[in-house]
Amino acid sequence: MSFDPSARKKKKVDCGKLCPEWECRQPGEFEGIWVIGEIEDGQIHEASLQMLTPARNIAEKLQTWIEGVLIGGDKEALEKAAKEVIYHGADKVRIIYHPDLKVYSADQYALVLSEEAKRVKPEVIFVAATLRGREFGPYIANTLRAGITADCTNFDVDMKTGDVVMIRPPFGAIMLAHIKTPTRRPQMGTARPNVFPIPERDESRTGEITWIELESIPQRRAFLEEVTIIPQTELPIEKADYLVSGGRGVATKELWSLLEELAKEMGAVVAGSRKAVDMGFIPHEKQVGQTGKTVKPKLYIAVGISGAAQHTFGIREAGIVVAINKDPEAPIFKASDYGIVGDAKEVLPLLIEEIKKLK
Amino acid sequence: MKIVLGIKWVPNTQAVRFDPKTGTLIREGVPSIVNPHDLDATEFALQLKDKFGGRITAVSMAPPAAIMGLQHVIGMGVDDGILASDRAFAGADTLATSYVLAKVIEKIGGVDLVVFGQETIDSSTAHIGAQVASWLKLPYVYYVEKLVNYDEKKKEIAFLRKLEDREEVYRIKLPAVISVAMHSQKPRPVRMSYKIMAKLENPIQIWTNKEMGLDPRCIGLKGSPTIVGGITWTPEVPRKKEVFQGDPKEAVKWLIDKLKEEGVIPF
Ligand SMILES: Cc1cc2nc3c(=O)[nH]c(=O)nc-3n(C[C@H](O)[C@H](O)[C@H](O)COP(=O)(O)OP(=O)(O)OC[C@H]3O[C@@H](n4cnc5c(N)ncnc54)[C@H](O)[C@@H]3O)c2cc1C
Ligand SMILES: Nc1ncnc2c1ncn2[C@@H]1O[C@H](COP(=O)(O)O)[C@@H](O)[C@H]1O
Repeated sequence: MSFDPSARKKKKVDCGKLCPEWECRQPGEFEGIWVIGEIEDGQIHEASLQMLTPARNIAEKLQTWIEGVLIGGDKEALEKAAKEVIYHGADKVRIIYHPDLKVYSADQYALVLSEEAKRVKPEVIFVAATLRGREFGPYIANTLRAGITADCTNFDVDMKTGDVVMIRPPFGAIMLAHIKTPTRRPQMGTARPNVFPIPERDESRTGEITWIELESIPQRRAFLEEVTIIPQTELPIEKADYLVSGGRGVATKELWSLLEELAKEMGAVVAGSRKAVDMGFIPHEKQVGQTGKTVKPKLYIAVGISGAAQHTFGIREAGIVVAINKDPEAPIFKASDYGIVGDAKEVLPLLIEEIKKLK
Repeated sequence: MKIVLGIKWVPNTQAVRFDPKTGTLIREGVPSIVNPHDLDATEFALQLKDKFGGRITAVSMAPPAAIMGLQHVIGMGVDDGILASDRAFAGADTLATSYVLAKVIEKIGGVDLVVFGQETIDSSTAHIGAQVASWLKLPYVYYVEKLVNYDEKKKEIAFLRKLEDREEVYRIKLPAVISVAMHSQKPRPVRMSYKIMAKLENPIQIWTNKEMGLDPRCIGLKGSPTIVGGITWTPEVPRKKEVFQGDPKEAVKWLIDKLKEEGVIPF
């Protein structure tokens, strides 16, 4: 079944039933998909380009266009980012410019974007759930009184109504909830970095770039005074080819140091489950899973990790998955290629020894 | 400094066990707790109060049982609590939840700083802080780790916050909303004496929609633009699922051979 674009106009909202704090708008007034592009240090963020993948899929189903939306105060960076967004699949780009928008400020950026969205009326807005995206995204949604679904793992379209289906795992299950906002537009959704791949870059792609040069902008009330870049001593887990990942089963000083030793011998990066984070063995940016990161190493070794769906969600793109767990019933064995049933205390030293021999 | 602290009463996902047969988490009999990341927020708010004086009111929108959550943070040193609780609030998504919380904060009045946790362990949306800021039209900063400076005269406060690869100092005009970075503080323990006081003096108020007087179209299910339209199963990623059970020495040899075959030995 394909979507009949005239269905957009058929949707009618009874304004009397709406909260008076929501401006009543008919869904039929809205069209097009926005992908908000985050610019960091003058560069378009990879996570924003990744959002063009689901946007393309939804745009095809709804027979509509993708508009990249950029905001900032540095014309050169904006122009460069706009080209990248088009090379990666946007049909056009809208650039919202004001010299005082050079530096990001959550509420100011969100207010400017909301005003533009009120004017342009896109039916969908996608935001990458980077740390900044998680900060400004919900403010836009709220200002527009739009529905927003965080950390989607997929998107689809209800072909009858044209509603976008935001798919996300709800609390504690392998199930996926399909969330819709039938009466409100725009419909907003976010996805974590690396849940979707970056679409292929094609420099021959062209698209219209609209510059919106604002005369005035809302007053800035949060001022970035200082930035200190923290030098990264190792690869972030989403970039590593080899990951050794620990869970509650190795969350003791002794076992964790064995895990680290294995990683060191293999030249791997250490990651972990949410329990490893909660117990203080790794920082949150090394957490694998639905509320952590999606990783794609060539080899992922999960030690003392039970394999909850929220965890294994983060390794579905991994090459080979190895599990070491003392419980033969642990679900991680169903989500891995090679499993060893055994105590990490025994298995890790042996594995370290064997790896040393190989070198 | 007049501070409002937002806390959520959540099922303890740490205690939730996984049922490998049905693929769901077993929630029955699971005790609820204050969202652990909100304890970082509580600690942060308490430190501000220790330094600058003032008052902290904890607020929560939840069923009546969440009163225990408010008692917990009062036990840590929070002054009082307000529980927005009414059947009419049930079924709220983050827009409708943030609406009620914003109205509570408005009703309290004269608030300088609203402090939230980074996210909840049961839904992890991190929406509420930004959405409350939007309803109240306030500036906000997420992922706050440290106080840098408070200028009482200018009504400005500066915080250090951390993103993945950088630390940023934000100066923000009050009133404002912040969310405190998870794992960034060492929450102080509950003091029995505070907790007993909390029970004796009963500093917790319950506000139903009688007290709040909100339009029924703005709250609960009706005030929520998102609806859950259905449930599907996560597609399983095909894996080889070969498992070795037996002598650990043999197991490790077996594994190394497999990794060699797959060509995923790093050297
Ligand atoms: C909304 C939500 C989002 C979540 N997001 C994430 C996420 O992004 N990432 C994530 O990881 N989790 C996430 N979780 C938590 C997830 O549900 C699990 O609770 C968590 O992954 C379990 O961590 P674990 O496997 O380390 O611990 P456990 O489930 O406690 O498993 C420990 C395992 O170690 C084994 N073990 C114990 N001792 C040994 C030993 N000596 N040798 C070998 N094996 C041993 C045990 O058999 C067990 O299987 C989320 C939960 C919710 C509700
Ligand atoms: N029902 C609620 N009542 C009070 N505060 C809440 C509620 N839900 C969420 N919060 C606050 O908002 C933060 C972010 O929550 P969430 O958007 O659910 O991830 C939490 O850490 C709490 O501080």
